Amino acid sequence: MSTSRDDFGIAIRSALLQRGAKQKFSLFVLIVISLTIFVLDNIELKPVKILRSIVNDAVYRVSAISSSPIKFGSATKDFFVNHVLIYKENEELKLEIEELKKQKLKTSFLETENKQLQELVQLDKKSTFITVGAKIIFDKNSPYLNSVIINKGSNSGIKLGMPVLSKGYLAGRIVEVNYLSSRILMLNDLNSRIPVVVSPNGDQAILSGAGKKKPILEYLPDNFNAQLSKAIYTSGKDGILFSGIPVGEVFEGKKNNRIEAKLFADPDQISLINVILGKSSDLEAM
Amino acid sequence: MLSLESLQIWRQCKMAINVKTLREGFLRVLPLFLLIYICISEFHTQFYYWNIFSFNFQFILIYYWILRDPSILGYGFVFLCGAINDVVLSLPLGTSSLSYLFVALVAAYVRNATVRSSLFTDWFTFVIAIFIGNFITYFLLKRFTLMKPEYVTMFYNSLFTFILYPAFWGVFELYRRIINLKTYD
Repeated sequence: MSTSRDDFGIAIRSALLQRGAKQKFSLFVLIVISLTIFVLDNIELKPVKILRSIVNDAVYRVSAISSSPIKFGSATKDFFVNHVLIYKENEELKLEIEELKKQKLKTSFLETENKQLQELVQLDKKSTFITVGAKIIFDKNSPYLNSVIINKGSNSGIKLGMPVLSKGYLAGRIVEVNYLSSRILMLNDLNSRIPVVVSPNGDQAILSGAGKKKPILEYLPDNFNAQLSKAIYTSGKDGILFSGIPVGEVFEGKKNNRIEAKLFADPDQISLINVILGKSSDLEAM
Repeated sequence: MLSLESLQIWRQCKMAINVKTLREGFLRVLPLFLLIYICISEFHTQFYYWNIFSFNFQFILIYYWILRDPSILGYGFVFLCGAINDVVLSLPLGTSSLSYLFVALVAAYVRNATVRSSLFTDWFTFVIAIFIGNFITYFLLKRFTLMKPEYVTMFYNSLFTFILYPAFWGVFELYRRIINLKTYD
């Protein structure tokens, strides 16, 4: 027992006091110094405080510099994490932009449609005719057939031969009526023939479709002056179309000795139309 | 001609010896640099995760090198590193120094008391070193300052320091062998 205590004492004494090969201070001395510094620092003596502030400044600066690699590593990790997040965010934003673009286009389309519908409604109010508004649902462009299908039929009072207006100008006539839809034969169709009158001289003619954009004026008088003539209206001589509906104007330019007419209602730009059901008896509308 | 050649060979030998000495010196001071670096660079705060994981790398370094090769880590430097740590962590000067020196004392005692040491003897005697080191810190801070050190935090710190010791022991052991090989090469 006594030997073991002695061994412990010797080992402790040796550990405390012995200086190794390259040790300049023994542990005992350093522990005493540490305790002294601790006590002095706790008493808060002014010289110790000043010394501590100087040491603090120096160590903080060195610490800031030496911490930089760890901080750099942390910042680099954050950078890559942020980069991945930004990449994801970018992808999401791209999708969002695409969605917004689509919505914008949709809004723009709705705006245009709304404008056209408003025009149509205004036309309904101002027109001297009783009309029904319709929308073109099917537009089959073909060199042999220039006709369109509208979303109104006999349920809306539409009958065969009824004239069709686009923005107040003659666009064609009804050639086929179903319960919920109708077909309009456009003025430039090869089968289209309508009696017209050319102002200002009141020259009578037949506006014949040529399968092209511009129909031809046929059966004009021999002394017809294309330079003077301007507007073309329906004459109503067939007993089907009402008279005085503006159709187009004489096109100043002869092709193969034929006089062409430029239609007011461009057949390629029609989307909403008014089918004339009858003459209005309302005087205000006149 | 012959003398010129022999001079050249001698110069080359001298350069080789200088490079060898430099490399050996660098390897020997690296643990010390590491200790200074971790004391300066707020190591405690850099490796503090999930509110519980933290470990005292200084204890591991001091304990291992004082126990295994005290010529690499001088007591004076241990004291200095403690002082630096106190400044960085805003502790009263001398707190960490005392703590580190007592860890070194346990290591020096174990070195003197044991003939053959292994990982297990080192590891289990390290518990005493951790206990004394942390107890001194806790006692000094609780008794002489307005700081309120938490039992739980210190317990977790001690626990993780203890758990991680064998891993660092392996690394340091390997490193020590490299140094010894270079020295006696």
